[in-house]
Amino acid sequence: MIELIHLRKEYDELVAVQDLNLTIPQGEIFGLIGPNGAGKTTTIRMACGLLAPTVGRALVNGIDVAAGPEGAQQSIGYLSDFFAVYEDLKVWEYLDYFAHAYRVAEGDIAARVTEVIGQVSLEVKRDAMIRGLSRGMKQRLGIARAIIHRPKVLLLDEPASGLDPKARLELRNLLRSLRDQGSTILISSHILTELEGFCTSIGIMEKGRMVRSGRIDEVTAAENLARDLRLSWLGDATALLEQKLGGHVHVSNLQLGTGTGTFQFAGSDEELAQLLSDLVASGVRVKTFAEIKQTVEDLYMKLSRHEVM
Amino acid sequence: MLKFWRNPEFVRHVRAELRPARAIMVAVVALFMCALIGLACWSQRQELLESAEQSAQQYGGRWAEYVEQLHRDNTRETWLLLFRWLMGLQAGVITFWSMFMCAQSVSGERDSKTWDFQRTTSLTSGEITIGKLLGEPVLAYFAAVCVLPITFWAGLAGGISFRALLSAYISVIASALFLGVCGLWLSTLLETRSRGIGLVGALGLYGFVVGAYGLAMSWFPGLGAFSPLTRLHTVLELKFDGNREIYPVLFGHVVPWLLMSLLLYASFGAWVWIMLVRNLKRDYSEIRPLSRWQVVGCVAFVNFLFYALFSPSILIRSDVLATFMVSLNGALLFVVGLASLTPHERLKVWWRGRAEGTSSLFSDDGLPWPWLILSGVVAYALMVWGLLSWRLSLDFQPGSLRMAAMQLLIVLIFVMRDIMFIQ
Repeated sequence: MIELIHLRKEYDELVAVQDLNLTIPQGEIFGLIGPNGAGKTTTIRMACGLLAPTVGRALVNGIDVAAGPEGAQQSIGYLSDFFAVYEDLKVWEYLDYFAHAYRVAEGDIAARVTEVIGQVSLEVKRDAMIRGLSRGMKQRLGIARAIIHRPKVLLLDEPASGLDPKARLELRNLLRSLRDQGSTILISSHILTELEGFCTSIGIMEKGRMVRSGRIDEVTAAENLARDLRLSWLGDATALLEQKLGGHVHVSNLQLGTGTGTFQFAGSDEELAQLLSDLVASGVRVKTFAEIKQTVEDLYMKLSRHEVM
Repeated sequence: MLKFWRNPEFVRHVRAELRPARAIMVAVVALFMCALIGLACWSQRQELLESAEQSAQQYGGRWAEYVEQLHRDNTRETWLLLFRWLMGLQAGVITFWSMFMCAQSVSGERDSKTWDFQRTTSLTSGEITIGKLLGEPVLAYFAAVCVLPITFWAGLAGGISFRALLSAYISVIASALFLGVCGLWLSTLLETRSRGIGLVGALGLYGFVVGAYGLAMSWFPGLGAFSPLTRLHTVLELKFDGNREIYPVLFGHVVPWLLMSLLLYASFGAWVWIMLVRNLKRDYSEIRPLSRWQVVGCVAFVNFLFYALFSPSILIRSDVLATFMVSLNGALLFVVGLASLTPHERLKVWWRGRAEGTSSLFSDDGLPWPWLILSGVVAYALMVWGLLSWRLSLDFQPGSLRMAAMQLLIVLIFVMRDIMFIQ
């Protein structure tokens, strides 16, 4: 569990993070999104004890990170966007070093190193010197380092940078399996498709402030965002649809083409069902009528364009 | 923490630096160097013998006796010469390498961006310090271990006692650890951009420590124990200026050089250790060498040490000593003032608290001037104690304490002005 309480970070005249309050329960994958310079990295660095907050506290599993960094860091796995590794070690030596540094039980270290090497698909490179690894392999080694001590909390700052598509897919699967094992994950990215599909909650940061945060469906509902809908029909019903939909109080952004169209609907489920009934009753031969699922990217774009602020 | 050979940071350095091929290469090169130096020593002795024999043939008499003595002592003197070379080289290599490698340690990791990952592990600052202190120069230590049996053999065969050999090694290792810990501290103060300046600083510090040999002839001869040369001079049969034998003095009592240097290294090293442990895992922008109370303690320690080491070879006037101590305290207060500057963001928070009436004037995040005044008062109190304690050995001038108080006050005002300007 991660708790950020009135967190603030100042650099001379710049306020990088302002009065940030956030609670991420155990087992959540929280996506921290925002443009460059929004304060995501500063937030993560404060959460893992690399930066001391100017004001406020960061608690990881109930431990104040600033007051007891070593204790808190025992349960934190941290990965940043740069994949710096000790080039003069072998792959297994690198992981063995961090296993010892995180105080993994002596008897478990060898087996854990082997297990983690398998999880990031570096078995064939186990005895290779790190300096000979490719960029993507080094990043995978970084991921292995971050999870070597089975951390309860993972703080990942742009973790997929440098990974090829296959490795990105593997990373997502790995994060899902870690979430299933009860890990809490805070992941930041400005590449929103990275977060798609496995984040359970999101937080949108801009200019050091958390604009919105919560579970994705809750954020959508709380902001009463219009749903995107797509419909298709048979025959020539464009004029009729323009009349029916264009005049509807909850419909906006109507775009009709030949046999297909999209629009936004801001009403309730009941009102949506009624709209469909009305269309069918008025003689429109509706072939498909479906909600376009909101992506994290859609949500971010709507919120960051200040549509709901 | 004491089991350094299991310290993960130490093990990492051993693994990286001492891979079998490299270790074998270093051992072979070290032993080859020993053989070369041995041959050079033997050659030098042979040359001396031949030249003496020629003189004996030419002049006879006392030259013949001299040749006989040279022949008698030749084996021992050759070993002794080899020992001096090996010991001197080891002292130079270990101390320099220790400082040089440690001075690049943290800044190097910042440069390669591995430092953040080490800071987020469960290793404490103390464990990281020990690991780096012993691990960074491990190659030099390994080379010394390879040469160790030969050095001991040469020393014993050269007539050096086992105790003297041991104390020479203890002295070299203590110097290396002290210089290493200073180098580590220097490297924590450096970012990528300033690494070059750091290395120049490390060289300067190394030069100062080695050059402290000259302080053995000052009013504070004990300070000469900072230099590895001072302790080695008995083993290497070096002499001070004018062939005088000089011994360090602590509270008026003569103590051995080794004990003196261990005391100095342990006490000054402890201050550097405190600064390292306080700051090693902090972000660069949040480094604050000493807390407010530690600043006062540091000023008290340095003043106390100087009076404890005082040993005038000639009768000096108390006002001269007082003026010297005021000058010393001026420099010291400026340095500790710099060490206690408050980071800008912390100071802003303190100002806000001050405006709301919740922050104390003596707060750790406040302005440094109240603590500089307190440090100045402590320095003056120790000056009174020091001058009165030594009054029988000084040409005690009435009024020197009053004059010193005025001088110290003026110095303190100027130091505070400069520190507040920098703050």
